[in-house]
Amino acid sequence: MMSHACKAKQFLANESRVDWHNRTLWLVRQKRDRVAAAVPEWEHLREQAASIKKEALANLDVYLEQLETEATRNGVTVLWAKDAGEFNRIILHIIQKHGVKNIVKSKSMLTEECGLNPFLHDRGIEVVDTDLGERIIQFRKETPSHIVLPAIHLKKEEIGETFHEKLNTEKGASDPTYLTQAARRHLREKFLAADMALTGVNFAVAETGTVVVCTNEGNADMGVHAAPVQVHCMGIEKIVPKQDDLGIFTRLLARNATGQAVTTYTSHYRKPKPGGAMYIVIVDNGRSNYLGHPKYSDSLKCIRCGGCMNTCPVYRRSGGHSYGYVIPGPIGSILAPQKEAQKYRDLPFASSLCGSCSNVCPVKIAIHEQLYFWRQDLTQQKRTSFLKRFSMKVAGFLLSENTRYNLTGILVRWALRYLPHGLLYLPFNAWGRGRELPVPPRQSFKQWYEGRKKTKN
Amino acid sequence: MSKEEILASIRKRKGATVEVQNTVQIQASGWGGTELRKQFIENLKAAGAEVVCLKKEEVDPYIASTWENVLDFSQPEVMTEYTATCPLEKLNKIEQAVFRGNFGVAENGAIWLEDKDLPHRIAPFIAQHLIFKLDTNEIVATMQDAYRRMDLKDTGFGVFISGPSKTADIEQSLVYGAHGAKELTVCLT
Repeated sequence: MMSHACKAKQFLANESRVDWHNRTLWLVRQKRDRVAAAVPEWEHLREQAASIKKEALANLDVYLEQLETEATRNGVTVLWAKDAGEFNRIILHIIQKHGVKNIVKSKSMLTEECGLNPFLHDRGIEVVDTDLGERIIQFRKETPSHIVLPAIHLKKEEIGETFHEKLNTEKGASDPTYLTQAARRHLREKFLAADMALTGVNFAVAETGTVVVCTNEGNADMGVHAAPVQVHCMGIEKIVPKQDDLGIFTRLLARNATGQAVTTYTSHYRKPKPGGAMYIVIVDNGRSNYLGHPKYSDSLKCIRCGGCMNTCPVYRRSGGHSYGYVIPGPIGSILAPQKEAQKYRDLPFASSLCGSCSNVCPVKIAIHEQLYFWRQDLTQQKRTSFLKRFSMKVAGFLLSENTRYNLTGILVRWALRYLPHGLLYLPFNAWGRGRELPVPPRQSFKQWYEGRKKTKN
Repeated sequence: MSKEEILASIRKRKGATVEVQNTVQIQASGWGGTELRKQFIENLKAAGAEVVCLKKEEVDPYIASTWENVLDFSQPEVMTEYTATCPLEKLNKIEQAVFRGNFGVAENGAIWLEDKDLPHRIAPFIAQHLIFKLDTNEIVATMQDAYRRMDLKDTGFGVFISGPSKTADIEQSLVYGAHGAKELTVCLT
């Protein structure tokens, strides 16, 4: 797989697009700050949310069984999938059992993670993604570049071109209202013809057997209520114990995600519609491996608001696709190596460790600390490049002893001044690839400080 | 079976039991009666809704004089015409649909609907224009108050709706009328 740095370089080739991307996501972050500041008890809510999630994860088996018991009592079929393969087979089984032809899906990062659409496509079954952003990237055969704003990497002209091709909109038309209305008409037909609706799950309430889905577009509800069969797909970590807990999480989620006070629709599905069928599919797919993990278990608290992406200086300037994992940005960079450490070994390095992700996280995951732990673990497992490990060893040797440190300083100051440009910027100087080396000072800080003491005395 | 495997994996690894720190005191917003109403209206407007303040007896005449072909689902006879067995083609023709909101939430303008208020569950989503009747006395301050007020066990489906359906998936430009209602009007009494 191409490294994050290589793919980021491709994204950076279009400077005006990078600037737009960076600015737009920063605006979302600023909106988030404004609405968060308008809630005086914001920090208390974060504390409480983190604590509820922690407790839910500590008793996860109990709550999952409680959810199953309650849901079953409500006439819902609960199914369990230990990995992506089993999840896909379960969905296929439901499709076959009900003789389903037309499937509509609202946003679910879990189905992306499990590769459900390609799995069904290979078996001749098409799934229509109904979130506008997801439909756009589905038309373009792309993947989401953000978990909340899946088409944030695209410009309206490109979307207009795609819609002209797929929905026969006017050539060259790129007005967002015009394009949205075209998608509304196109997808309404899909809703009315649907015989199965798939959704993700934002929260599953153990106490009542309810699953909660939040959307702005209303696509989850259009699908769920139109189709006779509704299927809700959730990772095991989506559990909250009680109804009252929703009060905390619904106050945090939309505010932190997009700077809205709440999503337009917060839907609570508990019983199938009269004459309909309702399924909840609970998926592990490697999550339980990190429960109780001394360093990484907290990542399971994530409620997928995407706030860490909007604030991340690296994400904003490298784009979601540069990460190469279904969930990009800071949270993706700590979740990806849990799945495949070797494949995603460079993601924890795609960060400045500034800590902004942790500061905005609504459930207080110390994301930057986990990134740092991953760097250590991946390096110890010798998964990082030889050059990186070697240069760190050399640096460690030179910086750990006084005389060596002083000599290195003298040598480097001399080299920066007198060595020819070509020699200083040899290919192994990764720092020099996109940056100028600094102009060396005449003396070190230490020398300057000693000298200053003397003149004072 | 996978269920047992998943639960066994969870039991093997889950950490020591943590107690949820309910000690964190979340202060109430401190909003009183008229303040709640003011916040509610402001937040509804911010979410793209229109708010009309009326006296109780003015609501039905206002609705009748403002829109033609409006379906008022707070009337039992209208409800029975659009129950769960009603064909989608018929539901798809609904222009204006009126519902009585159970209660509203001041901090975000959300209004709660559940099965007992709904004919076919799709009605408030498939209608082009959504109209809510709501009593000022039925406004709570926050979502925490909202979840304390109702019981999810009372309903098979329930939804908070705040404003018309919207999307910003094309270059972050806000567009109303993504899949659900294009407009939302709240008649507040």
